[in-house]
Amino acid sequence: MANIRTEELAVKFRIYHDHSPSLKDAVVSFFRSSKKASHSDFWAVNKVSLHIKAGERVGIVGRNGAGKSTFLKALCRIYEPSSGTIKVTGHIAPLLEIGAGFHPEFTGRENIHLNGAILGFRPEQLSVIESEIISFAELQEFIDTPVKYYSTGMYLRLAFSIATAVEPEILILDEMFAGGDAGFVLKATARMKKVVEAASIMILVSHDVDLLASICNRVIWLEKGEVLHDGPALEVLALYKAFSASLAAA
Amino acid sequence: MIDSIKMPAYLQELFAYRSVFYQLVRQYLVLRYRRTVLGFVWTLVNPLLMLSVTALVFSTIFKLDLATYSTYLFAGMVPWTFFSTSTTQACGSLISNEGLIKKIYLPKIIFPLSVCVGNLFDSLLSFVALFILIAVFGSTISWALLFIPIAFILIFLFTLGFSLALSTLTVYFRDVQYVVGILLQAVFFLTPIIYKRDGLSGWAADLVALNPLLHFIDLFRLPLYQGVLPHASTILAAVSMSLLSLGVGALVFVKHEKKIVFRL
Repeated sequence: MANIRTEELAVKFRIYHDHSPSLKDAVVSFFRSSKKASHSDFWAVNKVSLHIKAGERVGIVGRNGAGKSTFLKALCRIYEPSSGTIKVTGHIAPLLEIGAGFHPEFTGRENIHLNGAILGFRPEQLSVIESEIISFAELQEFIDTPVKYYSTGMYLRLAFSIATAVEPEILILDEMFAGGDAGFVLKATARMKKVVEAASIMILVSHDVDLLASICNRVIWLEKGEVLHDGPALEVLALYKAFSASLAAA
Repeated sequence: MIDSIKMPAYLQELFAYRSVFYQLVRQYLVLRYRRTVLGFVWTLVNPLLMLSVTALVFSTIFKLDLATYSTYLFAGMVPWTFFSTSTTQACGSLISNEGLIKKIYLPKIIFPLSVCVGNLFDSLLSFVALFILIAVFGSTISWALLFIPIAFILIFLFTLGFSLALSTLTVYFRDVQYVVGILLQAVFFLTPIIYKRDGLSGWAADLVALNPLLHFIDLFRLPLYQGVLPHASTILAAVSMSLLSLGVGALVFVKHEKKIVFRL
């Protein structure tokens, strides 16, 4: 059974005040006796303890810089926790940013294989779903053209089709992605729904309150890296909506 | 960090990501000569032309027989080119994949490792091409040539160690990649590749004697140029240098691997 448990999870970033240290700075500061702090620590995620069980559809809300994306990236093992622990049971598929692993010089077909490998497909699995991805992306004619010649829409369609060919137990989404012409958006939404339904756990970061209300059964509101509210979707969203409205009024 | 308990898990994970690794090596090998007329043939033509020019120039300067000198030069150039190209490219291997590292979890060792393996392929191919040429020139072909695969393995491990350490270091100090370029140029002159070691005397000879690459060059040169096996002491020196380099490199890499993403 898919399961996520975090205990006191914290991710720290180091902010450099002027610039990243060069070799010269390192040598200079090594010889300088009085050490002036050239950086400060910033806790993007601070002591978050959560338990997400199979079947849950979790939405994450919060203002910009509240630590939503950092939290997701920590779950996906991109950021090592600075303290605390994460325990994940089940295969995680991150759909953080579309087309992240694309190489512009590679053809569409080569990128299917490159990205597929990155997303954890086995080569034999890939050869099975390759044609399905190509036809869903409507790229039969251009699949052997380097993707740098693709239009933005073509690029997004291919990236979306590859990303959503995975059917992970734990689906992690950072903002909704869908691109291309109106017809494709419709198709994409349907496919997205299928992937979301197949997943045992889904975690979605979004600013779209209506979207969250329609697919989530639990919402976590993060503020300055900490959990401010955690509960049934509609309750937390109502609080968040009121808060956003008060911000807009002020 | 690398203890006997963690090692298998680390390698197991690396094995699980082998198709990403394969794709990265492929990316390296395929993309370079894409859209060129000769394509992959460049991998063979490039070292051939390089060697011909250098052999022609220096055999004239040193007043040496072209065929003999070509063999001598070739035996030194193959390991040198592998070492210098790999370490130079490894420096940027993590920073140039920033986009990927920040968006998805991958064992980071695949980036410098794929650079070294890609270069090894190149090196083996150019070895074959050059070897055919040298054989035509009529150099000594002996059983000692069977040692060459071992020589390749040893220089690979030696280079991998350096590559792991340098790729990590470059993330913290971007200056490293430029320093490495200059140092490699200096080391090139301190390695008997175009000249013969016995022609040196005084402090220059002492300095060259300290160069660890010397042993690796000998691993290639003795079987290829003289048709004899390298001395046991040379092999021992090369093995210990390789293990030392790999040990230090792996230690540096594994220790910082998880912090790299915060510094890109």
